[in-house]
Amino acid sequence: MISISKLLCDLDAEGDGLRYDAADESKKPQITDEKQHRPVVVWNTTRRCNLYCSHCYAGAETEAATGEFSTAEAKTFIDQLADFGAPVLLFSGGEPLVREDLIELVGYAADRGLRPVLSSNGTLLTREKAMALKDAGLQYAGISVDGLPERNDQFRGEEGAFDAAVRGIENCLEVGLKTGLRYTITEANAPDLEGVVDLLAEKGLDRFCFYHLDYGGRGAEIVDVDLSPAEKREAVTQVADLTLEYHDRGEEIETLLVGNYADAAYLVEYAREEFGEAKAQAVYDYLERNGGDPTGERIADVDYQGNVHLTQFWQGYSLGNVRDRPFGEIWEDESNPLLAALRNREERLTGKCADCQYKSICRGASRLRALSTTGDLFAPDPQCYLTDEEVAGTGSAVGGAAGAGAD
Amino acid sequence: MVEKARRVPVDSDERGNPTPQWEVFVRNEAGDPMRHVGSVAAASATEAHEHAARLFGWYAVDLWVCPAESVERFSTRGLAADAEERSDEEAGDDDDTDDSDEPRVYEETAGASEVNSL
Repeated sequence: MISISKLLCDLDAEGDGLRYDAADESKKPQITDEKQHRPVVVWNTTRRCNLYCSHCYAGAETEAATGEFSTAEAKTFIDQLADFGAPVLLFSGGEPLVREDLIELVGYAADRGLRPVLSSNGTLLTREKAMALKDAGLQYAGISVDGLPERNDQFRGEEGAFDAAVRGIENCLEVGLKTGLRYTITEANAPDLEGVVDLLAEKGLDRFCFYHLDYGGRGAEIVDVDLSPAEKREAVTQVADLTLEYHDRGEEIETLLVGNYADAAYLVEYAREEFGEAKAQAVYDYLERNGGDPTGERIADVDYQGNVHLTQFWQGYSLGNVRDRPFGEIWEDESNPLLAALRNREERLTGKCADCQYKSICRGASRLRALSTTGDLFAPDPQCYLTDEEVAGTGSAVGGAAGAGAD
Repeated sequence: MVEKARRVPVDSDERGNPTPQWEVFVRNEAGDPMRHVGSVAAASATEAHEHAARLFGWYAVDLWVCPAESVERFSTRGLAADAEERSDEEAGDDDDTDDSDEPRVYEETAGASEVNSL
């Protein structure tokens, strides 16, 4: 997750620039000290959903599924996460609001010291539900909208879904529950992106998360409707431009990108173009501390059957099942060669990733997309949209050995 | 806490999400033990092998797959067993203070997360 608004609008380029100018080799930051050590855990609480979206990574269905955790099992699972020290539990689905014990479980997670957040299609978020969730300790609701009304409803498989989601957003805002948009960018809805931000900003929303399509679940069947790398670059430029325009007008919206760490590299390039070298260096340093693609490290997923996944999109492979042994044991078990390799992926990346100047802030982006399209876990992500010059680092002082003395 | 080897059966029959799960076992080098390395979702054994080979083929000399529901599991730390204890306690106690938790190794919690609230 990369915050465009933070990188471009909040980072103090002057301060970082001065340190850059004065830096000496011995002052290289200790990146590992600042890395987050426990993952944010996405929990697919149920497979059921009241919608049927064409891009659903969880392959959710309108029919009930067997094997979901009982309330008692769910609480024991939350205990596992609390004991392990997971900082955040993201209640997802399916649609989590179809679980009747959702409010109880959110409350339980909050009591156990986890930060409970929600990912929802918003259509079931009445004012009362939003209030009850907030009272239970919910910290944030991310609501999915994937285009202006016509396109969104087509995507989501139900007429009126857009209006219902907007009502859900309004209900959250009215009760003071922090809320943000989740927007998965595809070829079909890229043209609506700006219109959706404008429309929702007008309603008071100030946080916008843009997801790149990953190739898991039903997403894998719609690889064809993903943007081409060039279009992807254009879409990210559009979001960055839009962020600056809003901030220039004094409307400090928060914009974030999820699911393609080529974005990290691109934002360094963008910052250099717009603000100069010092700012580019500040952005680079921040992203390096942030740690690059979080798969298998700072993000984890547990599906409704208890299978533990490397990200929420990577449902085809499971490290183990929390019905067998606690989450923390599974997550820490680096005798699993795949997990160990992913955590040291820089050494294994091939092709253009191997020598890319942005390797340490991107880390090869999506290994799942590489695997799905090439069969090779360490091949380049097919959705990397950097130019050869950007990868090689010709004409840039940022990144790789050239940036080693920064900070 | 004194560890008692009190293993109880763990449900194996509902692991598909919804694609059937296949447990994967690999051997690193000839002479090494087989090691369980998780499961893959696949419609058939052939597909499961292909999928697992993409993930572990670069590593393993032997690779086995086994339908997840065919594995009879017995664990001292299964979710259902812990949950049952919880239900008993909650039924017996008015107050659901949570002091019955088995403490595990990790005490510290991570600091504020950069990726909070996805």
